[in-house]
Amino acid sequence: MPTDSAEIVVIGGGVSGLSSAYYLAKAGKDVIVVEKGMVGGEASGRNGGMISERTDEPALIPLAVESVRLWATLEDELGYPTEFIHQGRVQVGVSEEEMGDIFSERDEALRHGISVEPLDPSEVQDLVPGITARTLGGLFFANGGHANPQRAVQAFAWAFQDLGGRLYQNTAVTGINVEDDKVTSVETTAGSMAADVVVAAAGPQTALLAEMAGVHVPIAPARVEIIATAPLEPLFDIALVGNGLYGRQAARGNLLFGGGAHEWIDVDLTSEPGKPNTPLIRNIARRLAELLPAVANTPVIRSWAGIVEQAPDYLPIIDIADNPSNYIVVTASAHGFGIAPATGKVVSDLVLHGDSSIDISGLGLNRFSDLDPRWREERGWVPSFERS
Amino acid sequence: MESRPLVVVGAGISGTAAAIQAAEVGVSVSLIDENPIPNGMVGMNVPHFFGQSLPPGNESASIETFIPTTVALAEAEELGVDVRLGTCVWGTFRNRENSRLLDGPQVGLADTERSWMMNYERLIIATGARDLSIGFVGWDLAGVMGANGAHSLMNRSANLASRRMVLLGSGNLGLKTAKMALENGIEVVAVVDVSPTVQGDAALVEALRTEGVELFTSHTVKEAAGKNGCIESVVLVGIDDDGEPVAGTEKMVSADIVCLAIGLVPNVELLSLLDCELTFKSEIGGYVPRHDDRMRTSVDDVLVAGDAAGFHDGMIIDPDIARNQGRLAGIAASASLGAIGPTEAEDLMSEIRSEILSQAGAKPTEVHTGWKRWLGSFVKAGGQDVLACPCEGVTRAEIIGLQPPRYLEWGSEQMNRRSLQTQVEDNPANPNQIKRLTRAGTGICQGRRCREQAALLLAEEANTPISEIPLMTYRPPVRPLPLSIMWPDDESEQVRTEWPKWFSPNNKVLG
Repeated sequence: MPTDSAEIVVIGGGVSGLSSAYYLAKAGKDVIVVEKGMVGGEASGRNGGMISERTDEPALIPLAVESVRLWATLEDELGYPTEFIHQGRVQVGVSEEEMGDIFSERDEALRHGISVEPLDPSEVQDLVPGITARTLGGLFFANGGHANPQRAVQAFAWAFQDLGGRLYQNTAVTGINVEDDKVTSVETTAGSMAADVVVAAAGPQTALLAEMAGVHVPIAPARVEIIATAPLEPLFDIALVGNGLYGRQAARGNLLFGGGAHEWIDVDLTSEPGKPNTPLIRNIARRLAELLPAVANTPVIRSWAGIVEQAPDYLPIIDIADNPSNYIVVTASAHGFGIAPATGKVVSDLVLHGDSSIDISGLGLNRFSDLDPRWREERGWVPSFERS
Repeated sequence: MESRPLVVVGAGISGTAAAIQAAEVGVSVSLIDENPIPNGMVGMNVPHFFGQSLPPGNESASIETFIPTTVALAEAEELGVDVRLGTCVWGTFRNRENSRLLDGPQVGLADTERSWMMNYERLIIATGARDLSIGFVGWDLAGVMGANGAHSLMNRSANLASRRMVLLGSGNLGLKTAKMALENGIEVVAVVDVSPTVQGDAALVEALRTEGVELFTSHTVKEAAGKNGCIESVVLVGIDDDGEPVAGTEKMVSADIVCLAIGLVPNVELLSLLDCELTFKSEIGGYVPRHDDRMRTSVDDVLVAGDAAGFHDGMIIDPDIARNQGRLAGIAASASLGAIGPTEAEDLMSEIRSEILSQAGAKPTEVHTGWKRWLGSFVKAGGQDVLACPCEGVTRAEIIGLQPPRYLEWGSEQMNRRSLQTQVEDNPANPNQIKRLTRAGTGICQGRRCREQAALLLAEEANTPISEIPLMTYRPPVRPLPLSIMWPDDESEQVRTEWPKWFSPNNKVLG
């Protein structure tokens, strides 16, 4: 006897899973979300909060464009704050190399009809007061901004519950039962959950869950780091990319910036992966001080790390598995937060209609059909040996 | 990178004893202490609770010359210990799961000019304990501070400009602070305790009574009030067994300083960063590192000593408890480095252990009921619209209501239906949720002033024992550190030139 059952069981209480669950519940579906820790406890609550049209990843553009549109009305939709600020994204170049990236991003944006304006150094200065005099130029993407990940994930979770959705936190998945090419139920630490459709949106754990259902999802987990300063007076409201960092000034005034080397790791299905920071936070601090020399004396008061997953082509995977055919895979390759509202719509579409009104043709599982099973080792996307 | 076989963090009683013990058998030791604390840190209530700002007359109390020179510290220097004062340890790092690429175990150091890293083979954490702070009406006025904060200011400026002190807490911590205040020419106008009896050492009580200090048991603070942001008066009120204020017992006293000496909390930040196992032991202050009888924590090569290993009020009276823990840790570290043989080490350690046993005073008792009683009395006398997190301006009521910060100017029916209560129905109580949603604990004091209050409120709302409430997470830097100081002068050429651009095929570093 199952402990609980629903039309749809979503595995993963991160932003993608909760957004999917929200739109499904809104469409009148009976939905359960199973989360091994607390909502937004992993990457969904630990990312930089950047939202943009992602001109650097063409396959992502339809999803990203729709998402920015949805973010704009999300607080009203959900009834809870997300701290979304729709003031655009500025990408600055402080080196010839970064200027090169800027030119190619501009060309890519124009090719896809995305609003972009080149900025000269004084225009960058107007948008980001106190930015380094080394600034060579920049790009302004009007459509985009940032939000508070922790607040936004909680907003989706609460709004989902308000629609009658059932949320099981601190509940890990231990098995997936498949009969006649269909998933019938999900085994969890809180009992068995029967479902007509299962959505696996569990970040780096999505690969392990998929394996249980006989589906291969090629992703590799990595640990990345962010620092937070003490609050400052409002300086800029755009999302900022430059000097090898990405970040924002939070509504409270703290500067939150991340970047730098990541470390490939492995995860398991039931335990919370360790997320230590490393002395890399000093290098991030230096780059932030270089980027914004006017605030170089601001104290760093916190840092954190998060675990993201990457597919071989750095893009999300959103698809219905061939077999079992009622199993949907959602994994975001570290793009998850910004595109979450559209991801939820897509998943809802896939469940309800078997197809999505938003173009996700570049995000299917079939793009990996020729991938060597040893791809992680070949690329070196595996945990390193410990130094002595 | 700098490197040292033994690094001891904290040059208090236990840390200095550990360093001396190790130096005596030829171990090369660095003994690091952040004192004298720069004025900037004082303003951030780090590491102690100094209050909203220094009381008038103390702003420029130039504090620069105080160096905690003690006989023991001089002895350590004599023995060749590399003593570094004015140097804080803001982080501890080691190679472990999901962090395998470090260049060995290391601590992050900083002074007022720069930061740097130092490798260690053995690490002794002797970081002491910090002030427990619980808010009453007016506790955000300048002049409210913790016992450690007051000790530090009295030590540094010799004459803390404040003249009249109300002291909360009649345990040894409070009584000793009162005595110290008197020695510094400060009038102690009241020693207040919520409990019906005085808590501390009888001889100390007698000494204070002789000096004419009035003790108010079964009392609490109703409010502190003043002008220009500074305390001028305090209203005390008698309380009954339930902590309810008794009508007609209000008494206004004039004071320019209120010292919270109601408890100390072991400083476990650096241990937490290393993932040393922490267990909840109320009788020694809450979350403390698990350690064996050689003061070794659950993490190889990391030892602990003194108040950081667990604090109880008896340690105020008997400094040998901390000193002996330090000596044990010093010997254990030296033995594991091969500086003394196992037999000799065992002999020395059993000697110290029997000394510890012979001196053992009364068994410490749990403290959180008392903390809860203080909080309950403040709530009953002054309500919930009192800041719990002064950095972020979050009140107790806002924590209980799980309300988004006021600057978001958010209001919705849906939000009003949510509270800490509804949250704990969904999920086991976790103070990190309070931090994420209300911002309490995210300020510049790094949660030093609100952690215990948040945990107590959460336990209350969740109807859960305080021991079940997890520790609000610590992250580096555990001292607020300017970007310009965190800046690595020693950044490697590779990190500089091969800094990856997010995840991309061009990413050459680490992968």
